Amino acid sequence: MSSRTAKFIAKRLALGLLTLFLVSVVVFFATQALPANAAQAILGKTATPAALKALSAKLHLDESVFSQYWHWLTGIFHGSLGTSAATQQAVTHVLGSRLLNSAFLVLISAVIAIPLSIGLGVLMAMKRDKTADHTLSTSTLLVASLPEFVIAIALVLILSTSVFHVFPAVSLLGPGQHAWNKPSIVVLPALTLILAVTPYISRIMRGSMIEVLESDYVTMARLKGLSERAVIWRHAVPNAIVPAIQVSALQLAWMAGGVIVVEFVFDYPGTGTLLINSVTERDVPVVQAIALIIAAVYVVVNLLADLSTIMLTPRLRTAAR
Amino acid sequence: MTDPSHEEGITRRQALRGAAAGGALLVGGGVLSACGVNPSVIAQSSPEPKGPIKPGGSLTVGSTGGGAQDSIDAHFATSDPDISRLNQLYEPLAVRDPDFNLQMLLAESMTPEGKKPDVWIVRLRPGVTFHNGKPVTADDVIFSLNRIINPKNPGTGAASIGYIDLKHTKKLDPRTVKVVLQYPNVGFPDDVGQYFNGIVPVGYDPKNPVGTGPFKYQSFAPGQQSVFVRNAEYWNGPSHVDQVTIIDFVDDTAKVNALLSGQVHAITNLPAAQLAQVKGLPSLRALISKGGAWLPFTMRVDQAPFNDVRVRQAFRLIVNRQQMIDQVLLGQGRVANDLYAPLDPAYNAALPQRLHDLEQAKFLLKQAGHSGLTVKLVTAPISEGIVEAAQVFASQAAGAGVTVNLDKTDTTTFFGPNYLKWTFAQDFWFTRNYIPQVEQGSLPNSPFNETHWADPTFEKLIRQAQGELDASKRTELLHAAQAIEYERGGYIVWAFSNQLDAYSSQVTGFRPARSGLPLTNYGFGRAGFVV
Repeated sequence: MSSRTAKFIAKRLALGLLTLFLVSVVVFFATQALPANAAQAILGKTATPAALKALSAKLHLDESVFSQYWHWLTGIFHGSLGTSAATQQAVTHVLGSRLLNSAFLVLISAVIAIPLSIGLGVLMAMKRDKTADHTLSTSTLLVASLPEFVIAIALVLILSTSVFHVFPAVSLLGPGQHAWNKPSIVVLPALTLILAVTPYISRIMRGSMIEVLESDYVTMARLKGLSERAVIWRHAVPNAIVPAIQVSALQLAWMAGGVIVVEFVFDYPGTGTLLINSVTERDVPVVQAIALIIAAVYVVVNLLADLSTIMLTPRLRTAAR
Repeated sequence: MTDPSHEEGITRRQALRGAAAGGALLVGGGVLSACGVNPSVIAQSSPEPKGPIKPGGSLTVGSTGGGAQDSIDAHFATSDPDISRLNQLYEPLAVRDPDFNLQMLLAESMTPEGKKPDVWIVRLRPGVTFHNGKPVTADDVIFSLNRIINPKNPGTGAASIGYIDLKHTKKLDPRTVKVVLQYPNVGFPDDVGQYFNGIVPVGYDPKNPVGTGPFKYQSFAPGQQSVFVRNAEYWNGPSHVDQVTIIDFVDDTAKVNALLSGQVHAITNLPAAQLAQVKGLPSLRALISKGGAWLPFTMRVDQAPFNDVRVRQAFRLIVNRQQMIDQVLLGQGRVANDLYAPLDPAYNAALPQRLHDLEQAKFLLKQAGHSGLTVKLVTAPISEGIVEAAQVFASQAAGAGVTVNLDKTDTTTFFGPNYLKWTFAQDFWFTRNYIPQVEQGSLPNSPFNETHWADPTFEKLIRQAQGELDASKRTELLHAAQAIEYERGGYIVWAFSNQLDAYSSQVTGFRPARSGLPLTNYGFGRAGFVV
């Protein structure tokens, strides 16, 4: 790795940390602006003044906003994400298995969706303006225009409750279990995410592939008598893939947040449902932690995408020399 | 409607059985005469379910409303899953059974000591043990009462039994407690007989949740699920099933989907909109319970414009009750008359039904100088149908020239810093008798006096009634009190809504409960799988 690339990474990481800090400030004060606190959320209808006072003291909600934020920030530097207001357990403990479940869902979806959509894009480009291309283009456009919760509900109706009874409608897990212990519960949420991201990546791949296939060097390669397989996979795809990688990264980052809606529909035990509950419960430390994790995913994924773009683009790769 | 067997209604046999077991128990004069009843007869009064039940099996029940703050503590319950758990693990001294009769549980009897109901002798049922094998004694009762009322960490029940004078309450012998009250109250057995007032052993720690209920604790993951196993030593007849799992759902759609796809056997609180779908499926059963739950609008009687009684009366006339039931509850409710506690024998049914009358409403508003009034109604999805009721009210009010601006908040904000202070808002209440409900919400010192109702004549009548042991004299006092609330109170009680639940046809043992708690008072101990 050249020193210029190293410098680039260092600069991007520093900017990423600054982004995360700003996100933490915004999220913290935004949650403070919500009326009611965790004690009121927990007690609900039974919130008599006596009960409220006792619980607020127990949950340390009587401290000032700034001292709460300061405690949280200093905690970060000691490796602690704080204590959940609703459960009085460490945030890391509350997040633990749910983070793994969400990561599993996102990764499974990405591992299937990215190669699938790149393949689809190549196929569409090769069959340009033929029936296969028209069918795929129209159907991907149709799916892309549907919000992911509509896709999720349709999948539940078709595959779970009304037409077929193949997969569970709700992703139930026992305590101590993880999503990979019960793969059947991951199918519908993962399918939803795959359907949500595939159209974007495949359509970009189709566009850039068509552009590459029309370029001179592909014609040259064909004239040289190379096999069509070699032309496509060795010469065309590596050059067409850069925009698709950028879009895949955007989609991956989107999934880290978009998974919230999908998890909610399936009651999937991940960070998305936890975030929704934590907002309702005014559990600020947990909201804070999840928001930061999602922001961090954005920063890291975008950095990785830029790095792979550099690696895949000879002009950029060799610029430092 | 479902098949008649699922409709509410006490069969003749149940009614007779109820009478034998202490039908006179209804808070009327009954509390007292009930106390002499042979406990074994009472114990049998829980009706056996219809049809043969296969012993064993694992029952899975879905519920919404919980989250990371879920509790398994005997004395703290706010959400539906919390209440479901409490009903499996713990038992109070008495309980309102599905027929709304006060049934003695861990107490064998509760009797006022003298001529005034300010000192009560609680005699415990013999031979009952906690899940850890320890017998239930007077010390456990005193420990539990202290733990509930503890001012440093008041339990859910502190709001209803805080009037117990703990200093003078004492053990008479291992099976007898003398409970002293700060003032006479015939409603004491009802107040103490609530699911959140369970009796726990001395030194109880919620980390080791030990009670006397039909199921023992096995595991608990807040916001996810809790598992309970059969208590083979249960004094009131062990359960049919070996295990019960209560699962938390984030929303109603996921819960109904889980029932439809066979992932759970039963769910509490079926949304009315899904009732038709459930009824149409042979694999599912709907359970419709006609209790006394109500979803009032709350008008603060001490704030403009509602400090003028004519405005309150006008608002009560604006409501088209039947239309609201049809649109909001999809027909699942009965018209109410701005009064609560319809199952109380002292309910004042003689007061004429208040009708939809826009002309009279306009006239009253004009008299009060409030023609063309604009008000803000604070609403939140705190219970099913609440926000819809607010929307229907706003459109009905337009007919009387009143503009209702809806301020829709989320549930947490609704119960936030302005809770019990909103000028015009809404609430939901479960089935209670009149005196216990008044103690909750209609006395100046009530913990949930959301209408800020403080009527001296009313209060005097209630205090007299609380000390009156003669049922007919007490009914007279309560009728007078209800007439006052009917005339000038701050609630608009438009309906008593039905409790809707659903379960798989593989399961039996549930029946409609007038007490209004879901799934026959969370009666998983009486349910089982069909042969």
